[in-house]
Amino acid sequence: MLPLGLLVSGEQAEIMEIKGCKGAHSLDLEKERPGDEQGRIEDMGIRVGKSVQMLNNGGRGPLLLKVDESRIAMGRGMAMKIMVRRKG
Amino acid sequence: MSTMTEERLQGSSRAALRAEKKAITVGVAGNPNSGKSTIINAIAGTRLHVGNWPGVTVEKKSAIFEYGGRKIRIVDLPGTYSLSPYTQEEIIARDYLIHEKPDVILNVVDATNLERNLYLTVQVMELGIPTVVALNIYDEAEKRGHTINRRVMEDMLGVKVIPTVATKKIGLDDLLKSLLEVAENPSAHCPKHLNYGDDIESAAKMLETQIGLTPLAEKYPPRWLAFKLMEGDSQVSGEIKPDDSGLSVSKAVGHLKTAHDSDIESIMADARYAQAFGLTREVLQKTESGNIELTERIDRIVLNRVLGIPIFLAAMWFVFKLTFDVSKPFADWMSAMTAGPFKGWAEAILGLIRAPGWTVSLVTDGVMAGVGSVLVFVPVIFAMMFFITFLEGSGYMARAAFVMDRAMHTIGLHGKSFIPMLLGFGCNVPAIYATRTLENPKDKALTALLVPLMSCGARLPVYVVFIGAFFSAHAGTVLWSLYVMGIVLAIIVGICFKKTLFKGEAPMFIMELPPYRRPSFKSLMIHTWEKGKHFLIKAGTYILAVSILIWFLLNLPWGVENKKDSYLGKVGQIIAPVLEPIGFGNWEAASSLISGVIAKEIVVGTMGEIYVAKPEDEKKNPSTFSEDLKEVGTSFVHAAEDSAANVFSTVGISSLSSKEDEKRAGLKAVIQKTYTPLSAYAFVAFVLLYMPCVVVAIAMRQEFGTWKWFGIAFVYQMTLAWGVAFLIYHGGKLLGIGG
Ligand SMILES: Nc1nc2c(ncn2[C@@H]2O[C@H](COP(=O)(O)OP(=O)(O)OP(=O)(O)O)[C@@H](O)[C@H]2O)c(=O)[nH]1
Ligand SMILES: [Mg+2]
Repeated sequence: MLPLGLLVSGEQAEIMEIKGCKGAHSLDLEKERPGDEQGRIEDMGIRVGKSVQMLNNGGRGPLLLKVDESRIAMGRGMAMKIMVRRKG
Repeated sequence: MSTMTEERLQGSSRAALRAEKKAITVGVAGNPNSGKSTIINAIAGTRLHVGNWPGVTVEKKSAIFEYGGRKIRIVDLPGTYSLSPYTQEEIIARDYLIHEKPDVILNVVDATNLERNLYLTVQVMELGIPTVVALNIYDEAEKRGHTINRRVMEDMLGVKVIPTVATKKIGLDDLLKSLLEVAENPSAHCPKHLNYGDDIESAAKMLETQIGLTPLAEKYPPRWLAFKLMEGDSQVSGEIKPDDSGLSVSKAVGHLKTAHDSDIESIMADARYAQAFGLTREVLQKTESGNIELTERIDRIVLNRVLGIPIFLAAMWFVFKLTFDVSKPFADWMSAMTAGPFKGWAEAILGLIRAPGWTVSLVTDGVMAGVGSVLVFVPVIFAMMFFITFLEGSGYMARAAFVMDRAMHTIGLHGKSFIPMLLGFGCNVPAIYATRTLENPKDKALTALLVPLMSCGARLPVYVVFIGAFFSAHAGTVLWSLYVMGIVLAIIVGICFKKTLFKGEAPMFIMELPPYRRPSFKSLMIHTWEKGKHFLIKAGTYILAVSILIWFLLNLPWGVENKKDSYLGKVGQIIAPVLEPIGFGNWEAASSLISGVIAKEIVVGTMGEIYVAKPEDEKKNPSTFSEDLKEVGTSFVHAAEDSAANVFSTVGISSLSSKEDEKRAGLKAVIQKTYTPLSAYAFVAFVLLYMPCVVVAIAMRQEFGTWKWFGIAFVYQMTLAWGVAFLIYHGGKLLGIGG
């Protein structure tokens, strides 16, 4: 297993675990920032068991994934919290 | 289908309307960028904002039309990936579906991405409201070799499924027929209860029965409410306080929790996802096409780590160069016309009706000089709006966010914040509203604070006058430099704010990049017009009013000889010393800048009024009306030719700079006398930065419910504007450029 953020462009992998913070999110300006990162990315179709293909990973900055038929741009921080297993 | 009205929907008016005319209310829900607004535009004849990136619609908008003898009120909603909202605009969508209970839900599904879209469909079905599914963007799905068995899908969901291609108006008639059919006979088209597994179902049953005994059953869809209570949805629990209502949630979910050893929210999400997955497997057939999509090939270049930002900047440069070159001949034409024939006609008409002398001056020196100076720039503004529309329609918008993500991280924001900023190039007001798509409220506030640094269309007239007077050889580049200055300063200011007001780590960035699409010519035209028209309306309304006001302020006390001694002149003289150190300490500049607070294009309007009455040297021979008319026509044709020629002469000096100067002395000539290239550049930089206009102030107030953020914007922008102008003016002088 390795973090998604370490895949090289072109590689395919399967998502094994999503470690992003989970919790209640709030939309109130005075409160702390919303925490439910995991729920958000799962809603966008990035879930355990899904195959992903790394389309663009420049080594720094955001990266671009292909999940099913959609291209999803993701910050590097988040991508390091998603564990994947390389596919042949 | 005929008339439509757009307004924000209000509960009371909706109820009244339904009682009277029995309009069918259709709520349109779906993933972002699935084509909801496009469908509504196609069936109701509206011109809702459409763009090829997620998060275009941030407000609910409704339209009324007639079909098959029934009135239909269709409500466009912001796109959402699920019914657990993360952003403000998603809350708007969810709240509408839950609280306003439309008669029918039109669930727009992006057929190219079935599984993820069905995840929302599954949740929509929980609401128990009669639903019709539109399989939109079916053309692209077919092109990719996907076929969807709609019959099977209809059986499995228990609702009608209609393939559509909104952009080509295919399938829309079927869709409308189905909507009517469902509205006539709602009970036959209620979505099936999908089975989420025994554990979940029995817990939900228990809660549903309890809910049925309380008044809550009236207010909320019971099955949905049961699920939300089980999940412990913070918003729902906040709204209804389950303990007060005598609902024993913990008892209901007790077994579920022990059996699955996980939190209920994930169990539910998995159950829903399993449904979406199962459905997709049953109905979707793919023939793998193997070849790499065009979108991916373009992205390899455009999103390249090294090339990304240079490509973005080059694209911007190209846009500004084209904006300037294409629109300039028309702008020159309009300016010659308003100063020449149009003015002559107004004078003639007023003379005919024997209007008193001062009204002639009010109309020609006030209204025509003021509004005219602004109208002159309508072509420029429209050209700019055209390019922004193209940017939005092509799909590059979301790429710009990707490319700028790293730069935005330095200010504690992420790439998505760059989209409101780019929209700000059109007009800052919708840009402020576009901040709703940001997950984090602090991001939203910081982004809104930086939006006014993005140079909006209203500032273009000022630039064009000054650039035309001093830098016409490098117009495109100088114009571009101002926009880039805005972005760079936004980053610097952002860093300062991050260190003071908005401490904390950068939030996560996640965003879908749509495929590139070629916007149709017609839709480009429509949306360019929609963006540009408010500048016209503005010119006809409050710029007109301000022009008249300014005329009075320039002519009071009555009969004042020198404009310097008028009320406006006196105020200008008081302010002028403040502007002295930054290169334009004259009362004319000061007065214009004050009036520009209402709207920045008024700066040139006021200058037009101030400088107009300087006696002209040449006395024109009176020309006849028909001569005038001919002149208007032929010069317009020349303008069109020049504009077309400019498109092809991409680089280098435009062909027309030589002949324009002789004719229109006016504003440009006075400016050339009053300013140096250096002070002119300092002046436009000042106009770029000095403060958000009144409408932006109101928008900020509305979005945040307090004047606080506007106050901060006001203070920092004034300081910044003065500081930057000072640096430009004195820095330039030290270096010995353009002094
Ligand atoms: N090829 C194709 N493109 C479509 C179709 N319907 C919509 N589009 C395009 O999809 C993009 C998104 O359309 P919108 O109507 O703005 O989508 P929306 O669902 O309102 O998006 P949000 O407001 O962001 O939630 C636009 O570029 C449309 O031109 C279709 O049937 N076929
Ligand atoms: Mg929309």
